[in-house]
Amino acid sequence: MSFNVNYKDEIIKAIFFKIAVVILLFSPQVYAINIISNITADTASLSVTQLRRIYSMRQLHWQNGTPIVVYVLASNNPLHQQFCKQQLRLFPYQLDRIWNKLTFSGYGVAPIEVATQQELIKAVKLTKGAIGYVDNLSEVKDVNVIKIDD
Amino acid sequence: MLTSLKLMIRPSHVSYCFVIVLCHLCLAFTLSASEVNNKSLQVHGFVAQGVIDASGSNYINDDENLSFELTEVGINASYQLNDTFRIAGQAVYLNGGNRYHAGPRVDYLLLEWDAFHNDLWQASFYFGRVKNNHWLHSSTRDIPFARPSIIIPQVVYFDGFRDIAVGGDGAAVKLRYSDDAIGEIDFNFSRGESSISDDQADVVIGKLALGTIDHDLDAQASIYWRPPYSQWRFGISALDSSFTYDRVEIDNFFDGDFIFQFYTANAIYEGEFWQFSAEIFQERFVTSGFYFPGFHRDEIGQGYYVQASYQLQKDFSLMTRYERFYANKDDRNGAKLSQSTGGLVPSYFGFHHDTMIGLSYDFSSNFRVNAEYHWMEGGARLSPIVQPNPIANDSKNWQVWAIQFMYWF
Repeated sequence: MSFNVNYKDEIIKAIFFKIAVVILLFSPQVYAINIISNITADTASLSVTQLRRIYSMRQLHWQNGTPIVVYVLASNNPLHQQFCKQQLRLFPYQLDRIWNKLTFSGYGVAPIEVATQQELIKAVKLTKGAIGYVDNLSEVKDVNVIKIDD
Repeated sequence: MLTSLKLMIRPSHVSYCFVIVLCHLCLAFTLSASEVNNKSLQVHGFVAQGVIDASGSNYINDDENLSFELTEVGINASYQLNDTFRIAGQAVYLNGGNRYHAGPRVDYLLLEWDAFHNDLWQASFYFGRVKNNHWLHSSTRDIPFARPSIIIPQVVYFDGFRDIAVGGDGAAVKLRYSDDAIGEIDFNFSRGESSISDDQADVVIGKLALGTIDHDLDAQASIYWRPPYSQWRFGISALDSSFTYDRVEIDNFFDGDFIFQFYTANAIYEGEFWQFSAEIFQERFVTSGFYFPGFHRDEIGQGYYVQASYQLQKDFSLMTRYERFYANKDDRNGAKLSQSTGGLVPSYFGFHHDTMIGLSYDFSSNFRVNAEYHWMEGGARLSPIVQPNPIANDSKNWQVWAIQFMYWF
């Protein structure tokens, strides 16, 4: 009897596993997003509100006075889209709207857009006060990793 | 020699050359964008061309034919001088047919002073030619991809007043605050005046007025509030402006003064798929003199629009809008207007309504096409409003459709 129960459990587990694999295969890729900055930023953690302020260009300097240089990927990049929704709790078009309004009215500047994550990492590493995001920290060196507090 | 040279260089040639230069600059900066590695310098621009048709009015052109007068080209640059000061400017070429004077413009050219900042506050001052950023879409009204539609709500963003309303030479201040408890608050104040060229004056007061119109005062203020993590944002604004008309010796009109005051309230909702926005306003338009010495008219107009858009697919969205405007809140059907002019001006010049549907498709993250159809009713938003033209606009109901392609970087 117990053998039968175990056997059923195994079958159910196998079915759920297959369903999970199918869902993952056909779902948009989910990234683990990490916020990185140039070592001159000298900041260990930020709140979600602070991160939103930085990316909506409402906070232009780090705590130590260094000007913030914001780097982003294109608005249709999946990592950028996930960063907006997950970390900033904003939709990508909302950020585009804020940046376009600043840029084309003269009242501010937009973040610097780069084509690839490798370019972004390089830019953050080399630019004083820079901030950006990556999905994998394993290949990232010589940058400051910022913890985001909820 | 100079005179003959002037005769050879027609304004249309200058505009044509200007737009060619702007296009080349846009192309050059696009191609070398990756080479611009200076963090202090940012260069952006846009090019848009479309086709537009208005039947039953001279809104676009006098012959009511299909028109390509839907051209917008612009390029801007921003340079961070140091931690405190930044300079920025934008040049545009616009051609909207009869909607506004066609030609090049310096859209803004300013010096920004970052006067104060900390984690919560940011206070900046702007000096020079500054743009009006008090209404929901005023600062991006000429930016094809950053405004909601090709023709934006005429009840608020009347094309006939574009060159006066878009900004002015003076100063502006922007005060921004944000925290977890209150959300985001923006306070804006600006004061300046627009220099009105003869071509621009033709659109505002008509070609029969041979004198000059001066913009004497323009003071505007606005407050915007977004609650913490909210998808809603709310705003209010107020504008006080005055103009003087100086007649020439032989003129069809007389010296006159105009006062224009404008109060708005707006709300916007930004959801994942749905977006809503609305603006409601009241305006006061006072005319003293101009038509004849001693003439005085003090009218209060009212209007609103509501618009909604839905993102059907990742790159494809639909939108609709409903607008209502009454030039005199006490004469909503225009009967008194018609009566006071002995029937010369039809009653439908007392209001302007629009019902619009549109669509937008993104070919890529910086290349888009917009298309829309408008069912218009009334002539209160047809230039020049101080001299209604019932011969060219002999229909109460008229329609506009437009398709515009746009690229930006």
